[in-house]
Amino acid sequence: MRNFDYQKPAQESEAIRSGQTTGARFIAGGTLLVDLLRLDVEQPELLVDLSALPWRQIEVAADGVRIGALVSNSDLAEHPAILAGFPALSQALLSGASPQLRNMATVGGNLLQRTRCAYFRDVAVSACNKRKAGSGCAALAGYSRMHAVLGVSDQCIALHPSDMCVALLAMDAVVHTRGPDGERSIFLADFHTLPGAHPEIESALKHGELVTHVSLPKTSFSARSAYVKARDRASYAFALASSAAAIDLDGQIIRQARVALGGVGTKPWRCMEVEQALVGRPATREVFQAAAALAMSDARTTEHNGFKVQLARRVIVRALERVGGVL
Amino acid sequence: MMRVASLFLHPSLLALGLPMNRGQPMVIAFHNELQLQESLTLEQIRAELRGLGAALILVARGAVFVFQPDDEVDIQGSNIGIRAAAVDELRVACGFAPGAPAHELSLVVLSGGGSVVARHSLLATDSRLALKGLAEALSIAGTQAIGPHPATISRREVVLASLVGAFALLTADGCRPHAPPPSGPAAPPVPINRARKITLNVNGQAHELEVEPRVSLLDALRERLGLTGSKKGCDHGQCGACTVLVAGKRVNACLTLAIMVGEAPVTTIEGLAKGERLHAMQAAFVEEDALQCGYCTPGQIMSALGLIMENRAHTDAEVREHMSGNICRCGAYPNIVSAIQKARLETVPS
Ligand SMILES: Cc1cc2nc3c(=O)[nH]c(=O)nc-3n(C[C@H](O)[C@H](O)[C@H](O)COP(=O)(O)OP(=O)(O)OC[C@H]3O[C@@H](n4cnc5c(N)ncnc54)[C@H](O)[C@@H]3O)c2cc1C
Ligand code: SF4
Ligand code: FES
Ligand code: FES
Repeated sequence: MRNFDYQKPAQESEAIRSGQTTGARFIAGGTLLVDLLRLDVEQPELLVDLSALPWRQIEVAADGVRIGALVSNSDLAEHPAILAGFPALSQALLSGASPQLRNMATVGGNLLQRTRCAYFRDVAVSACNKRKAGSGCAALAGYSRMHAVLGVSDQCIALHPSDMCVALLAMDAVVHTRGPDGERSIFLADFHTLPGAHPEIESALKHGELVTHVSLPKTSFSARSAYVKARDRASYAFALASSAAAIDLDGQIIRQARVALGGVGTKPWRCMEVEQALVGRPATREVFQAAAALAMSDARTTEHNGFKVQLARRVIVRALERVGGVL
Repeated sequence: MMRVASLFLHPSLLALGLPMNRGQPMVIAFHNELQLQESLTLEQIRAELRGLGAALILVARGAVFVFQPDDEVDIQGSNIGIRAAAVDELRVACGFAPGAPAHELSLVVLSGGGSVVARHSLLATDSRLALKGLAEALSIAGTQAIGPHPATISRREVVLASLVGAFALLTADGCRPHAPPPSGPAAPPVPINRARKITLNVNGQAHELEVEPRVSLLDALRERLGLTGSKKGCDHGQCGACTVLVAGKRVNACLTLAIMVGEAPVTTIEGLAKGERLHAMQAAFVEEDALQCGYCTPGQIMSALGLIMENRAHTDAEVREHMSGNICRCGAYPNIVSAIQKARLETVPS
């Protein structure tokens, strides 16, 4: 591993100042960054350790929940307010990584986790636009079974691997940041960016800007939510396709719905077409299937990942069945 | 306007009372917004100066900072106040227009005799960029100067020549901080010592050690403290062989930087037995024959202890799910589950 310098600021302002340095990276749980440092994919000159900052609180208020950026994935998943009010989030977190990794991983780090594209992670592969702008994309002509089919571009088809973010997207989460220019609140839907011609840009966050917390509004649908993840083994694997679904029922009739997909997009993917097809209809398997069939119409598959189209529709149906009381 | 052969004799420099070593090359840099708060870049500049044997004078608005190649301690350099008029005089003596333009980093390189051998200006919109540019230029100069030249050539002459080249390169490149070094025989840049003293509390004992920030907790335990019970399977968080408890929680030591652990107590497999008496979980692994080669076993046991303290796995299926972060290449899983179930009923979470 290359050498780098290290600072552990005690104050937010100090962290922001240090983070401005060219070559500076924030580090929280380290489960992504230390991995990428060892692979030589990330080459920071300075690590700014956020762990001394006071962002480990989960605050529950009447209008929602406020989650500090340093809350661990385990603590968030097990919190009573999340288990009761946002079950899809708890399930998504518990389906991700391993217990050890979840103890280390933070909310901020999970939001900013990077793709697992094998070509991106292998510096011996020279063509990767995400690692080196303009160098090409080895995955397009390579093995792309795990890669994205939604939101892809000719420059990059890398999957956004987070489970947590899919659930946050379905719960209308807002990411709160602070940087040298002050504070910002960004809807999760706008937080991650599509690869387009610039796959090296992955989020709305600017260099040196910190995620301070994430807020979840109290909604009529969040408490009736579920996360379903299909993967190659029973546990400890990234999603091939996953879905967070939430509905608000008026008797048997769906009043509001949220459906988001993981494992298929270059960013966490919301399926508004499916949501619209659900609203006003009864919560039955037939309705779920008909609505799910509308998903993935924009999918651009490769020779290896065409299976994701059907799989994604099926995990949507599964997740809806769980929240609709059909299963 | 006053012109003298050696800038070292120029009244505006003499008036500052600078501790100048004649015969030593020197760089004078002007930047209005210079602030010396970034220890990383400064540390790099210092290291480069040491390697080069050159002094550096940074002239900011109202202050002059002097760095000698051999002063070790004060990272900020010595700081001397300066009037605006004196800055202008010095600028003129160095061949620049008076009244420094905002965002401009102006540099001169003086030979050991005090004559200006190179003069350049770069656009550096802020202090950080200016320092970065300077550090980079010094580094490139160092790389070029040290390797290829035998002792017959005055090292300082080489330094000067390469500084000139480096500045020219930066100028041409619009002061991009990551300008690649020009091709040619290159030697490694002067290494920077970034090691820090830390104290690791492992198995109830405090250990003082000096580590670079890049050292993982796993390597610190294994290579520095001789605690080789924690295993390195993948070094990427994928196998669990390195699992230890930090502050009572199971973590992957391979993805933990030792410097980030701080005061938190670390428990490794070596800390479980009391003398000859095995911990209940160790005993259960032996009794249930929960291993073949044994490589994954320390990680399995530490992970199992974490699981019990978390108190969330009760059925066999739950134990399997919550032990999924520990891979066993020998496939001893059924017996691992039995061992954990057996010990779970005997172990009181501490
Ligand atoms: C073997 C393995 C399996 C995994 N499986 C899964 C899985 O199935 N599902 C899943 O979703 N994830 C999985 N992960 C990924 C894991 O969830 C992420 O690594 C983790 O969430 C990152 O969090 P962290 O705190 O450790 O981040 P760090 O490594 O500390 O940081 C990650 C990035 O975020 C930035 N950052 C962190 N905090 C902040 C902040 N507050 N403000 C600004 N920037 C910040 C850092 O600069 C860095 O770029 C897996 C990881 C591993 C190693
Ligand atoms: S898919 Fe994206 S990350 Fe993977 S090789 Fe192509 S450009 Fe790189
Ligand atoms: S060595 Fe740490 S998880 Fe494999
Ligand atoms: S006993 Fe051999 S790897 Fe588990």
